[in-house]
Amino acid sequence: MEKEKKSQNILWRTLSSVKLTIVLLVLIAIASVIGTFIPQREEAVDFAHRLSPQTFHFFQMLGLFDMYHTAWFRILIGALALNLIICSMDRFPGAWRRFTARPRPDRSKIFQGIPEHQTFVVSQPGESVSSTLEGLLQSKYKGVVKKLSGSTVYFYADKGRFSHFGVYLVHLSVLVIIAGALIGSFFGFEAYVNILEGDQVSSAMLRGKMVPVDLGFTVRCDDFKVSFYDNGAPKEYRSDLSFLHNGEKVKSAVLLVNHPVKFRGITFYQSSYGAVPGDKALIRIVRRASKPQTSSLTVKLGEKVPLPLDDGFFTVSQIKDNFMNMGPAILIKVASQKGKPIRFWVFQYQDRIRRSFPGIFEKFPKLNPSAYKPYTFYLEEIESKYYTGLQLSKDPGVPVVWGGFILIIGGLFITFFASHRRFWIRIESRGGKSKISVAAMASKNPVGLERETHELLQTLKTPFGDKKND
Amino acid sequence: MTNATILSYITFVYFAAFFFYLCMMIMGKAAFGRVATWTCIMGFFGQAFAIGLRWYESYKMGIGHAPFSNLYESLIFFSWTIILLYLIVEWRTKNKTLGVFVSPLAFLALAYASFSPSIDSKIQPLIPALKSNWLIAHVITCFFGYSAFGISFGLSLMYLIKKGQKEERRGNFFVKLLPGAGVLDDLNYQIVAIGFLMLTLGIITGSVWAHSAWGSYWSWDPKETWSLITWLVYAVVLHSRMVRGWRGRKIAMLCIVGFACVLFTYFGVNYLAGLHSYAKS
Repeated sequence: MEKEKKSQNILWRTLSSVKLTIVLLVLIAIASVIGTFIPQREEAVDFAHRLSPQTFHFFQMLGLFDMYHTAWFRILIGALALNLIICSMDRFPGAWRRFTARPRPDRSKIFQGIPEHQTFVVSQPGESVSSTLEGLLQSKYKGVVKKLSGSTVYFYADKGRFSHFGVYLVHLSVLVIIAGALIGSFFGFEAYVNILEGDQVSSAMLRGKMVPVDLGFTVRCDDFKVSFYDNGAPKEYRSDLSFLHNGEKVKSAVLLVNHPVKFRGITFYQSSYGAVPGDKALIRIVRRASKPQTSSLTVKLGEKVPLPLDDGFFTVSQIKDNFMNMGPAILIKVASQKGKPIRFWVFQYQDRIRRSFPGIFEKFPKLNPSAYKPYTFYLEEIESKYYTGLQLSKDPGVPVVWGGFILIIGGLFITFFASHRRFWIRIESRGGKSKISVAAMASKNPVGLERETHELLQTLKTPFGDKKND
Repeated sequence: MTNATILSYITFVYFAAFFFYLCMMIMGKAAFGRVATWTCIMGFFGQAFAIGLRWYESYKMGIGHAPFSNLYESLIFFSWTIILLYLIVEWRTKNKTLGVFVSPLAFLALAYASFSPSIDSKIQPLIPALKSNWLIAHVITCFFGYSAFGISFGLSLMYLIKKGQKEERRGNFFVKLLPGAGVLDDLNYQIVAIGFLMLTLGIITGSVWAHSAWGSYWSWDPKETWSLITWLVYAVVLHSRMVRGWRGRKIAMLCIVGFACVLFTYFGVNYLAGLHSYAKS
């Protein structure tokens, strides 16, 4: 039994030691340094390819490609949290005692060796002086304690007792922040989704897992716009979103960077954007006849369009942003009463291709923009369509973390700038005169204490016309 | 642009201040110290004017924003906060010897900003990620933190020099003028406390901002992580001093390590990939 108790004590002593705190802080710092030099998560792929197989396996085994989420890193954080709790439990009773302690006012030792300017004499009897001073002290401090000892009157007053708790508040707030992070990792998620303009989704891909998560509602991207400054730097990314439930629009919102949109507990962030070829092509058709004629028109994929001055129709049946490595192209199908329908590809960079491969279009009717006589098709542009890249996150831990932030700020202010200041005042009366002495102590910041003691002396001297001590 | 021209001149003002502080230390003449302080004050107000002018000019260009948006602007602000904090410390302690250690930091930051070919002094418009009210709060708190740690670095060097001197060389003005080791140690602790509070506020404001800009209050981005590392190092300083009772040399060494972390958080991280890329140039 004795042995067990002793070992328990050792465990407690270890866990409550600040040495352990320092060791853990240093270990977490070192691990974090490693994590910043090894690319993490998405960025790790390129780096991992450059490693030798042995190094790769070693890194993989230690989880260095996603180090901040490994068990061992979390154990370090957990150990720090435990150390914080035990440390605080170990020391809190002491702080509580200092908080509740009411020292005796009639301590005479404390007045030994006080500087001379902290005493002064007034030519009034003790009783009237003490009642005046008591009023003054009570207006400046709460809970003034008085004690009579013969003809001598003692007062005790203090301020800032709560400052003993500042450091515990800081420790508590660190725990609160860790708790908030844990809540987020258990009950929250982070996901990504790209939505084409006009399209809608009702699920997104979980980060790092490539598993879809169902949102329980539908998001539609009505519009995406990107604008640029004159120097080419991006100015604004903007997505117009609609949120739908059972096919009905419930909410519409404008999403900008720095202005996330929240819907049913899920927050949407503007994260990226991109373009894909759309389903419209701007086409120019030239009819070579005695009277050449040109017409330009925008044609939708699959739309049946009459050929100018002809009984035939054409359709754009395919749109490719890079066909045969020769750039954007569309497949045109012309049907007329003259014969079988014909199909041919029309490239956007026709002239360039003609220069690089002379005669290519004549050789391959499938690539000839003039395959249907007397027309020549030109592809001016494939209209591109934007997609918006959204990041979705649900994190119920956020309010907890914010609470921790507020606590830590308050705690640090108290820890660094508040101090427990204690004052003892002694009034000794001798033959119609009274000698007043002030002694002061503070838990920290001696300079601030000196200033306050000086102020207190001034206050105490005022009713007596600031008489110099003799 | 006028503001950048003024700022490049201020570089020389701070160099002059450093020179006068050095003269004071070597020759032991108080007059040099007074000249140095006034040079510093002139530089400080000139720089404040230039920063204000830059702010105003950005609005005239139609892309108005606080001048905290890129490496150039941050370096300017960094040197300004160092001088501001230094002048406060000098005024409170009535001791000018710290100037010789701190004014070079302000001078170097400005010189790097003004004369490095890789740093563009043009006013640039804000990219979408920076368009936030948190920008001002985040930059101000972070840089006051960095500056406080810069001053702590100066005090730590002073401590090590004071302690490291052999008795027979105590006649030397330079060392004689330095405050006592105990005073330096106390002052260093107070400055570290202010820096720690500011860094905490800087991390918090950054975190709240990241939550609305990047969708996560903490993403282990290298700059975030390095600010945490710096925070941990100074947490070690505070704990080892307050609880374990370390004083003097060990604390001074730790503060120097801490400032190295600050510098890496500020500059070194730019060589690592991450989200804070706009602070690179």
